[in-house]
Amino acid sequence: MSSTTADSHAHEHAPAAGRAQIGKFLSTYVFSRDHKIIGIQFLFSTLIWFLIGGLLALGIRWQLAWPWAEMPVIGKMLFSAEGGQISPEFYTVLFTMHATVMIFFVIIPILAGAFGNFLIPLMIGAEDMAFPTLNMLSYWFMWPAFFAMGSSFFVAGGAAKSGWTSYPPLSLTDLNGQTLWLIGLTFVGVSSMMGSINYMTTIIQMRAPGMTMFRLPMTIWAMFITAILQAFALPVLTAAGFMQLLDRLLGTGFFIPPGWTAGNAAMASGGGQPLLWQHLFWFYSHPAVYIMILPAMGMVSDIISCFARKPLFGYKPMVYSIAGIAGLGFIVWGHHMFISGMNPALGMTFMVSTMMIALPSAIKTFNWLGTVWGGNIRFTTAMLFALSFVSMFIIGGLSGIFMAATPVDIFIHDTYFIVAHFHYVLFSGTAMGVFGAIYFWYPKMFGRLMNEKWGKVHFFFTFIFLNGTFFTMHILGAVGFPRRLADPYHYQTFAHLQSLNIFMTWCAIGMVSVQSIFALNFILSLFLGPKAGRNPWHANGLEWQAPSPPGHGNFDFQPVVYRGPYEYGSPEVDTDYYPQTQPVPEKELIPAPAAH
Amino acid sequence: MGKFWSLLFLLVPVLGVASFVVAPWYKFWLPLDISEHGHTIDHLFYFILWLTGVVFVITECVLFWFLWRYDSKGRAHPVQYTHGSHSLEIVWTIVPSAVLLFIAIYQMNAWADSKIHNPGAGPDGIIGTADDMLPTLEVTGRQFEWRLRYPGLKAQGKLGDADDIFVVNDLHIPVNEEILIELKSADVLHSFFLPNMRVKQDAVPGMKIPVWFRATQTGTYDLVCAELCGWGHYKMKGRLTVESRDDFNHWLEQKYREQTATKDSQPTEKGDSE
Amino acid sequence: MKMIVSRGLLVLPCLALLLLPLGCGRTEPPQFHLNMIAIADKQLPRDQQQEIANILEALFGTPDEPFVLKSETGLDIDKLRVAAGPVRSDQFGKETGLYRRHCVHCHGTTGDGLGPTAMILNPYPRDYRQGKFKFKSTERAAKPTQYDLESIVRQGVPGTAMPSFDLRPDAEIKALVEYVKYLSMRGETESRLINAMSELSEGEKLQLARSTLIDEILKPVAENWTTAGQSIIRPEEKPDVPLAESVAKGRELFYSTTANCAKCHGISALGDGQTNDYDDWNKTIVELTQGMDGDLATLATGTDVSSEDRASIQKRVAEIRSALRTDALPVRNAIPRNLRLGVYRGGRSPLDLYRRFYAGINGVPMPGVGPATPGAQGTLKPDEIWNLVDYVQSLPYEAFSEPPRQPRSTLKEAKF
Repeated sequence: MSSTTADSHAHEHAPAAGRAQIGKFLSTYVFSRDHKIIGIQFLFSTLIWFLIGGLLALGIRWQLAWPWAEMPVIGKMLFSAEGGQISPEFYTVLFTMHATVMIFFVIIPILAGAFGNFLIPLMIGAEDMAFPTLNMLSYWFMWPAFFAMGSSFFVAGGAAKSGWTSYPPLSLTDLNGQTLWLIGLTFVGVSSMMGSINYMTTIIQMRAPGMTMFRLPMTIWAMFITAILQAFALPVLTAAGFMQLLDRLLGTGFFIPPGWTAGNAAMASGGGQPLLWQHLFWFYSHPAVYIMILPAMGMVSDIISCFARKPLFGYKPMVYSIAGIAGLGFIVWGHHMFISGMNPALGMTFMVSTMMIALPSAIKTFNWLGTVWGGNIRFTTAMLFALSFVSMFIIGGLSGIFMAATPVDIFIHDTYFIVAHFHYVLFSGTAMGVFGAIYFWYPKMFGRLMNEKWGKVHFFFTFIFLNGTFFTMHILGAVGFPRRLADPYHYQTFAHLQSLNIFMTWCAIGMVSVQSIFALNFILSLFLGPKAGRNPWHANGLEWQAPSPPGHGNFDFQPVVYRGPYEYGSPEVDTDYYPQTQPVPEKELIPAPAAH
Repeated sequence: MGKFWSLLFLLVPVLGVASFVVAPWYKFWLPLDISEHGHTIDHLFYFILWLTGVVFVITECVLFWFLWRYDSKGRAHPVQYTHGSHSLEIVWTIVPSAVLLFIAIYQMNAWADSKIHNPGAGPDGIIGTADDMLPTLEVTGRQFEWRLRYPGLKAQGKLGDADDIFVVNDLHIPVNEEILIELKSADVLHSFFLPNMRVKQDAVPGMKIPVWFRATQTGTYDLVCAELCGWGHYKMKGRLTVESRDDFNHWLEQKYREQTATKDSQPTEKGDSE
Repeated sequence: MKMIVSRGLLVLPCLALLLLPLGCGRTEPPQFHLNMIAIADKQLPRDQQQEIANILEALFGTPDEPFVLKSETGLDIDKLRVAAGPVRSDQFGKETGLYRRHCVHCHGTTGDGLGPTAMILNPYPRDYRQGKFKFKSTERAAKPTQYDLESIVRQGVPGTAMPSFDLRPDAEIKALVEYVKYLSMRGETESRLINAMSELSEGEKLQLARSTLIDEILKPVAENWTTAGQSIIRPEEKPDVPLAESVAKGRELFYSTTANCAKCHGISALGDGQTNDYDDWNKTIVELTQGMDGDLATLATGTDVSSEDRASIQKRVAEIRSALRTDALPVRNAIPRNLRLGVYRGGRSPLDLYRRFYAGINGVPMPGVGPATPGAQGTLKPDEIWNLVDYVQSLPYEAFSEPPRQPRSTLKEAKF
């Protein structure tokens, strides 16, 4: 490459230099193969989708609080003909796309894509990922998905309307939005697949000298097991998605029963089974639930141990319980289908395995409590978010037991009880964990600290409003309030619940609004935040020994690991932390960390 | 500030329990149960609610106490330098698994009664023998209505004859009798949900799924579709009327008369009638 | 510290900005919109369109504030006010804005069947503006009675997206029916105004005198509604013939050349006969499109078209195009009913079926076999119509009609 560029430089100076600069810019910041840039690209993309997903949720809340009432200002722009009312099929678009965006464009890519990419090489002491080009492709394969889902809002008939679960035969009757949805999903799947292969290889092959498997931070263990989950579960979803595409486009009948018609369409060929999709879909999507929580659990473990200034309680049980969750995660998918018409005897076996998967989660919770016990707790913003993860995960975990009990599930299946459950796990759990991780690793990513005071304001209001919004959903669920209804109040059983929904909508509006504090803090701190130095939190992990932000190749020395990442308060040293790279005889190999 | 944040976390169990205590006062709670088997489901719900409630309050309070007690401000003690406790790990592995297994076994009968012991199979438990119970009616979910088909009055309770009685959305059943429904779907997935009866079952195209229950109280209640079935899912509403056998027969006869009407029943005065 | 404060000051206005669209500002009330298809067809200029809109507003008000001339139209303004306006409920739980709550998604603010949901429905929702209703107890061309419309709202239309509102209170159903009549009268009045305008010669103005408008335009529309009760079809007693015999006769008639049902409904009665016809609503669009295509052909091939003509044709094509884009859904054929499904849109009682056969279905190709005018000779005699009723009612029970089922159902598997 160099000889040709050098030649062309010699011949035409200015334009070629300009072109080379553009090329350099593109290869550094756009089509970068550096894991840190890719991680940050994932982070920015997912945060933008997070905003979109949140606004879609507000649309749902608006309709549930004041059904068919005109939406001020926005309503006029979107639905002018009907006086700003949300139409019922747009309501189905809202909840379908809210879930799709949040799951496939926010939670999964922000955990695996953003933090997985950024943290794995840094935390294991590697220069980069094992396959940098594959890594870059895994980000750019998200873009066709972004484009497909985004454009589906503008095609005739609107975006997908069959729920994020896309159960056929309803999803087969949907218009083009559903086809775009399936195409988008396939690209997300390919992207995740590339990522998980990369993570597995990197973690197995590229650890620094001395970094044994049981010296890995919990974050890396969680990312590793998540990658395995992805690699084994995703092909099933991708195949199922293709089968649905074939049913839609080529007239096959994988999910169509014999003699089936819908609306006034002609009889379809049939010969398939709608339940087949549910089995295939949940065979991926139940493990996906753990894909959406395990990395957050790992990151929260690191944050809690760091700010309790105390070793993680029960490191190995924590690792085993993550592995246990992943293993059991493959044999519990049927608990989404207790009342689907699946053989009820099969329901019983799934019920038992589902009950058992509560166990590793319980072990993890007790270990977090054990970590906090006897510590020296520093209430930083990151710590507050991590603690709220634990507090909220207790609620999300316990409410799952109701659904696991099959007879109770008969009543609360597809009601707001389940909506409450998964929002406690995914928003109050994962999203709070992610906020914590952003506050915690932001200085490593950008070399500057975020503002702590406004971080705490952000935490306080988010915590209050999220409980106002989601805790109330348990109560709605106890009444049997079904999910996905555009106007539930015409049922006498649910008519009195509107007041509760109005309260929840105000909380949801508050919750989305206070995220502007976060957005401003995030953006302004990029330029105005105080310089962080290498190790602002006095943490032990390898990543904190690298410069902030780390340059290309990550480390300005060869890291050698002497111990696990959680040696806080060790009696061997005077400081209350004991970096993984610090040799036992106390010798400073690295520049002293700057004070924060 | 540490004390403030600890108190914030204490708010979780306090307000959480409070909201569950207050909610039933405003009828934000399980709807009236009018079925024979419903109390076992409700009992199980309360059982799990108490169990999880106790665990919830204890763990959240422990979290609060640790945060309050081990706040780094004004505390110069060295931390508890420990990597865990083997015996504690064993305790909190065995106790929850015993409890979870107990719940799993404890509920099996309720599940079997609701979904496995099909009265359509008769006392001998085999379908297709002479002692089988005939279905009371057939329910077909269709975008966006419930189509009900009762066996006619002439042929002895058999479905599929020309004298079947067709009704839309208006489900009537006799009180204190075992009801057996054949649940079908004409197009997409639906879910037959009777909140007051603690009954829910998806209707799947291509399948005929039995649903059974026994109502113990007369009145009118909601029939809800609980599985997304399209844009009009929200309005797929039916009405369940539980009534005495006499009233039920009377209603069925009247429906039959309407269905076979050959004479006009609308008011005869000229122009619009009001 | 100073930095923190200044940053805090920045946060607050941004927070306020985010809350602004949620907190304040009202949406403009929805408006009726003109029948652009008819206007494009008649090539009415802008000022005449405005005039029509003004007259209509004077006669009928707006979606939020309906107005009617009680004695001329027979409509009840109190009921209309319950149905019109935005969705509200007062402290006693009495709801207003019923039309916008229950109907507008499909039928549209103007009752033009162009609500946002309409596009994904098959069949399309009814456009009331033409004043044609399919399922009713009256003669083919007559309006439905109050009872007919109430039944449709109560029972819904099986086989379509129209749901049953049977569980709503009586007063609400009456109010909605009143509003449907109101929209229908308004739409027909609009059509008449458009026709009247288009017949004016250059420079002539429409007679705007109140009496002319009311007597020549509004009253004839309203009269059809008030006299609907006079044309109810009341069949003769159903003859007491053995069912099998009647069914056999009906079968013969079904395939005969006189009734000729099989021509459209198919030899199999699956509705697979002639399927390339249109109903009246789609036909309007088809004709307009064909006219436009003709114009385009003229433009493409005609060399002797003067440049003035060319400009006017181009203008006409552009107007039709824009009308088709905003006011029309993709054209669909009228598909004859599959008679083996046991789904009867207009009711399943023998009386309902008799009336369908007798008068046909208004607005669609289905012809009536009864006499066109009372006293005249119909295609079929009343007895024969009853035979046909019996035959059609027996169709869903023929073995041929049962769709294949999966052999292993859960019912069979559930042995414990």
